[in-house]
Formats: sequence, structure tokens, C-alpha cells
Amino acid sequence: MNISKFLWDAAKAEPRQGLPILSFPAAQKLGVDVEQLVKTSELQAKAMEVIAKETDILTAIGLMDLSVEAEAFGAEVKFSKNEIPAIVGQLVSDEKEAEALQIPSLEAGRIGVCVEGIRQAKERITDKPLLAGTIGPFSLAGRLMDVTEIMYICYDEPETVHIVLEKATEFLIQYGAAMKAAGADGIMMAEPLAGILNPEMAEEFSVPYVKRIIDALQDENFGIVYHNCGNAVPRMLDSIFSQNAVAYHFGNAVKMDEILAAAPADALCMGNVDPASQFAQGTPESIRAATKELLEKCGKYKNFIPSSGCDIPAHSSWDTINAFFEALKD
Amino acid sequence: MILKEIAELLESGKSKATKELVQKAIDEGVDPQDILKEGLLGGMSSIGEKFKKNEVFVPEVLMAARAMNQSIELLKPLLAEAGVESVGKVCIGTVQGDLHDIGKNLVKMMLEGKGFEVIDLGTDVAPETFVNAAIENNCDIICCSALLTTTMHVMEDVVKAAEAAGIHDRVKIMIGGAPVNEEFCKQIGADGYTVDAASAADMALTFVQ
Repeated sequence: MNISKFLWDAAKAEPRQGLPILSFPAAQKLGVDVEQLVKTSELQAKAMEVIAKETDILTAIGLMDLSVEAEAFGAEVKFSKNEIPAIVGQLVSDEKEAEALQIPSLEAGRIGVCVEGIRQAKERITDKPLLAGTIGPFSLAGRLMDVTEIMYICYDEPETVHIVLEKATEFLIQYGAAMKAAGADGIMMAEPLAGILNPEMAEEFSVPYVKRIIDALQDENFGIVYHNCGNAVPRMLDSIFSQNAVAYHFGNAVKMDEILAAAPADALCMGNVDPASQFAQGTPESIRAATKELLEKCGKYKNFIPSSGCDIPAHSSWDTINAFFEALKD
Repeated sequence: MILKEIAELLESGKSKATKELVQKAIDEGVDPQDILKEGLLGGMSSIGEKFKKNEVFVPEVLMAARAMNQSIELLKPLLAEAGVESVGKVCIGTVQGDLHDIGKNLVKMMLEGKGFEVIDLGTDVAPETFVNAAIENNCDIICCSALLTTTMHVMEDVVKAAEAAGIHDRVKIMIGGAPVNEEFCKQIGADGYTVDAASAADMALTFVQ
């Protein structure tokens, strides 16, 4: 499937169809916890299927579990029944450790579980394209080097960060290729840590690597949706759009109408109903109002697809999630 | 003039140069309290304002804070000798169940940039640990951070634990993090919420003045 054309057709159609980052709340529908979900291919496939079939989501979407790739490199993961897994500790702190870091095989950690989950999901979901979820290169490097420490290392030993980024990028290309081979129509690539960098640093430590991944993987039938939910995004839009993703997904730290006003008409943008205050803590009434407000401000743009601002928390109420989709139809 | 230079060097995140200039100021007999207030804290205050306006971003704040922390080591014995005390004491941590710390680290640095003594309890901090730390260290403020919608409710347990321990009348409780807001702050009975780290430090200052 030509995913780019599919998304552009949807952006121009009325009523709008949404593409929220909706995966973990499927655990409620399946009667399992988050830990079971992130460790089991079949459950992941069922999660994608249940959301694709029971909601008006534009495409099926894989789990946005941003611990998988760092775990494959050897980082320690803390699992939870209610929350997505988190990386703890610092695997790489200096140049020596960066040099010693091995690019993992596609059998490492839960990589195989996730690829198999996509393969099974593709068999189950035949009426919608499927986007797998992966992390972006700087965000992966941050998980390997600690998200605070990497900021200092970017200044003190930038070459060390580049060594890790080279390896992260190579691995993400291999992982993306495996997702592609498993049947995914594209990838939602989350690069949130780049969103707190200043524009110059993002230009050095994220953009070229993202671009390299996109150049390696993207073709007519496979596209990358780039996600960055940081507040520094408005200052780095030119470099973000230079990455040539099929679409760009932004968080609720930015004003979506301002992003769209600044975006070129050929840059497809998605966003940004607050996942915390609306999807997780809001009510059907409040999210309906927030979604309508978003449409009022952004509905005039034909390069816009309504979405959540980031990953929707696992415990979000389905009444509230459904109200988001209903508001798009009104 | 040298104090202005210290502030500017700190703002640009140059730890070594800031430290060298602080040493020079000490050697020239500049009052350590002035070096602290006008030089180091002045620089942090300026970068905090720029951070609030999105003129600088997280890395610049971290680098400036590191420059301050390294330079302040030179001043500590002199300030102690002169009987200069911190503007207040804060214990800070990310609440139980939550391992995210960059937001907490930023607030800690901004608080130190306002002259607070900060006790960092780390991440995954139980409500009773906040309260015990506040009692043991005679803190003025407890700061709770959370990134997750599933852990933000632990903040309410911190408020309850502070009330049960009988310290909430003298220890303010501030909250922050992506999922929380002013409404939630009021709802759980906390004393302050701000949208960013620099504003948190400003609010903390109002609680001790």
C-alpha cells in the first residue's frame, strides 16, 4: 500500500479520521496487563487488531514501547503491570563504553517478540494499513546514556554521542527493515528527546540520523511518521521537515494551529489532543470539547490529521477514547 | 564588572571558565556573598527567565547549573565562615512508581539557582520518605515530580502523609510534571503547581520569604 497517498487522502476527506497513538489501552479490552502485553507477540497482534476493528482509527498502530530497542542493546528494563516499561541506569557513560557497545542482533531482548507481533497483526488486520512503533535515534541514545547525562556529554564529548548514534541508527535501520519484512506499511518513529534539545543540537544529534533511517527504509509502500512531542519543536521546524518523513506528529507542548501555519502545504502534520489531561484524566465531554476546538483551529488545513499529542496511557477510559473518535464525526 | 562576567560565563555554560573567574573574584577580595548573589545566582536567574520564554532549552539550563554547582564549591567555606545561610531547604523527588528524573533534576537546579539547599531523594520515592526527609532536614518545602498519569496520584498520598505527620502547616508541598495541573494541585490539597522548572523556583522563593 502507498501509505503516503493513503494518509494524504484521509487528510483531505470529510469527516476527519483520527490517528491517535493508541495501543496500550487495548490491554483493558484483552483483559491483560501491560507487562504481559509487551512480552507476548500474540497479545500485541490482538491489541492492534482490537483497536483497528473496534475504533475508527485511520491505521492500525503497533505498541509504542520505547524500551525495546535499548533493552536489546543491554539496558536494564523495569516492567510494570500498569505502565509501559522504563529503562533504568546508564549503559554508556564514556567513549570507551561507546566504542565497546555492540549493535545487537534482531533476536536480542524483545525485538523478535515485537517483529512477530507485527507479522501476526498484519495477518489479522486486512482493511487498514499498519504502522509499527519504534524509537528515534537520539531518544535511543538517551536511554543508553541516561537522558540527563547525554545532555552534558553532547557538550563535553560530542564524538562519544556520535559513536552511540551511529550504532543506534544502524540498529534502527535493521529493526525497521525487519518490521517492513514482517508486513508493516510504515513506522511511527518517536524521537521525543530531540524535542528538548536546542535547534542547533537537534540539527547535529538527531536530524541527520533520522534522515538516514528514513532514506534507508522509506519507499512508495513504506513510510515513516516522525513523532516529536517536545516544546522546542517550533524553533526547529525547518530541519524537522527536511527529514522527508511521510508525516510529522507533534505533541501537546506546541500549538497545532501555529505549527500548521508554519508548515509547508506538502508537510502532512498530526496532533495533538493532550493524552494526560484529556485521554487519561478527561471525561467524554471534555475530550469532545478539546477535539472540537482542535478541529475549529486546524480543520481548515488539508495537511492535517487529528491525533493525540503523544502515546495514550494504558488506563485511559474507553468512554473517553471513543468520545475523541465521535467528536471527529460530528 | 567581574560579577557580570561571572553571570555571563555561567549562562553560557562554561564551567571551567566560570570557576576560574569566581576564584579570581575571591582572590581580588570581592565579597563571597556578592559573588554568589550577583554572579552565580544572577546568571541562573537570567537563564531561568530565558527558559520560561523558550529562548533557551534544557541543555543550556543543565550546563549553566553545572557551572554554578562547580563554582559554588569554592564559595561554600567562605559563605559558611561568614554565616551566610541558604534561603530555604527543599527535599525533592520523583514519586513512587515513577523513574523519570529530568524534570525533577531541572527543578532542583533552578531551586539551587535561587539559593535553596536541595535534598535530592531521587526517583521512585515513597510518600513517607518525602515526609521523613522533610522532618529530618527541617525542610520548608517538599517538591514532588511525576511524568506518568498512573503515578501522579501518589502526590496526594504525600500530602496526606504530611498532614498525618503534622508538618503540612509549616512545610509547603509543590507538584510538577507533564500530567499535573493547577486543578489537580488544588484537588489534592498541595500548595503549588507551576508549568516549568524556572517558575517552580520563583514560587518556592515566595513560600520562604
